[in-house]
Amino acid sequence: MPPRGIRSMLSLIVGRDEESGSRRVRRVPVIVSTSNQQPRVTVLKRFPLPRDLGVSAESRIEPGRTWPAPAGAGRVKAFEIYRYDPDSGRNPRLDRFEIDLDQCGPMVLDALIKIKNEVDSTLTFRRSCREGICGSCAMNIDGTNWLACTRLIAESTQPSTIYPLNNLRVLKDLVVDLSHLFAQYSSIEPWIKPKSAAPEKERLQSVEDRGRLDGAYECILCFCCTAGCPSHWWNADRFLGPAVLLQAYRWLSDSRDESPGERLDQLEDPYKLYRCHTILNCTRTCPKGLNPGRAIAAIKKLLIQRTM
Amino acid sequence: MKRQTAPLAPHIQIYRPQLTSVLSFSHRVTGVLLSAGSILLVAWLVAAAAGPHSFSGAREIVHSPGGSFMLLLWTFSLFFHLCNGIRHLIWDAGLGFNLRTIYLSGWTVIGSSVALTGLAWLVSHILAR
Repeated sequence: MPPRGIRSMLSLIVGRDEESGSRRVRRVPVIVSTSNQQPRVTVLKRFPLPRDLGVSAESRIEPGRTWPAPAGAGRVKAFEIYRYDPDSGRNPRLDRFEIDLDQCGPMVLDALIKIKNEVDSTLTFRRSCREGICGSCAMNIDGTNWLACTRLIAESTQPSTIYPLNNLRVLKDLVVDLSHLFAQYSSIEPWIKPKSAAPEKERLQSVEDRGRLDGAYECILCFCCTAGCPSHWWNADRFLGPAVLLQAYRWLSDSRDESPGERLDQLEDPYKLYRCHTILNCTRTCPKGLNPGRAIAAIKKLLIQRTM
Repeated sequence: MKRQTAPLAPHIQIYRPQLTSVLSFSHRVTGVLLSAGSILLVAWLVAAAAGPHSFSGAREIVHSPGGSFMLLLWTFSLFFHLCNGIRHLIWDAGLGFNLRTIYLSGWTVIGSSVALTGLAWLVSHILAR
């Protein structure tokens, strides 16, 4: 064990576990090793830009109302939540909900469900499995995208800000229209495209070939990465985005697929693939700890290799 | 009254600045600064070719506080764009994509571009004596 002074200096760089309530939360200021690590030091909570810069009139966010904590509440936590009601004819707003953490489950999703059950039943959000496998409750929590069901309230800021997934049309509150992203997904033809005759039984795969799909097949299509990708913000119409490109790589890597050439032809496009400028917000934010950035680089490599 | 268009969820307006995005934006900004700086470099060369009178004018601008600041910004942009460009070349080879490596290389780029800027200014001051 290095001396205490050196240890505390090291913890500034590699981070340390902190007690937060009854839970240990890993907070890292400088070197982030896994996407679930939260920063300990905040220099800027958002980029220093005017809030309405380039924002169309119907998308401007107005101040909302405050729902105060009940009298006699113990540990009070505030959530600032994006609200939009398509039937009101009004702009989106930011409501503030103050809830008693002593009467609430540990996850951000627990807080949302508590608000819907006890405070404002019109709060609208998608959720299903509550264990990080369905991808429904993906949203922007404290400025980065994550699943509400796997984010501890103890890890969130005070107040915690919750927005819908970025750069998508909002249907209501935290529910966004994902049609375009799923259309992009279907454009890469995410299924086995065989050329040879169909076998008698299933198409077999060796353990090694199956292993090539590790890190790609686990994607739950929550679109946290695509919604957090600046390249996709500027070119959502034509750039496929990290989630879809990770899946494109997943089907390129499948030993049972027999059409890699056609797949690469489809991807070789200045917009579909090459709008990726290796910003790597995708790898930083993936709630499943996957690496879309590496997969996109691998596709670019395949495209170069086939010309040599 | 029902609204025609649904609002667009905010992105750059609310997304948290992270090392990944900040370095990428900085790479773009320093690239633009270098292009602008190369025009000024040409102006300086033209002034040097035009004779001692115009050269001493250019020299005065470069040595003024504003000129020195711009020169410092330009030097930093040069080294930052160089170091981060090498980082991008390594990525293009398909290497260095672990999140930990991304952060280590990012902070290395910041550290080395600050150090190289300092070194360049130190050397130029020694040579100017």
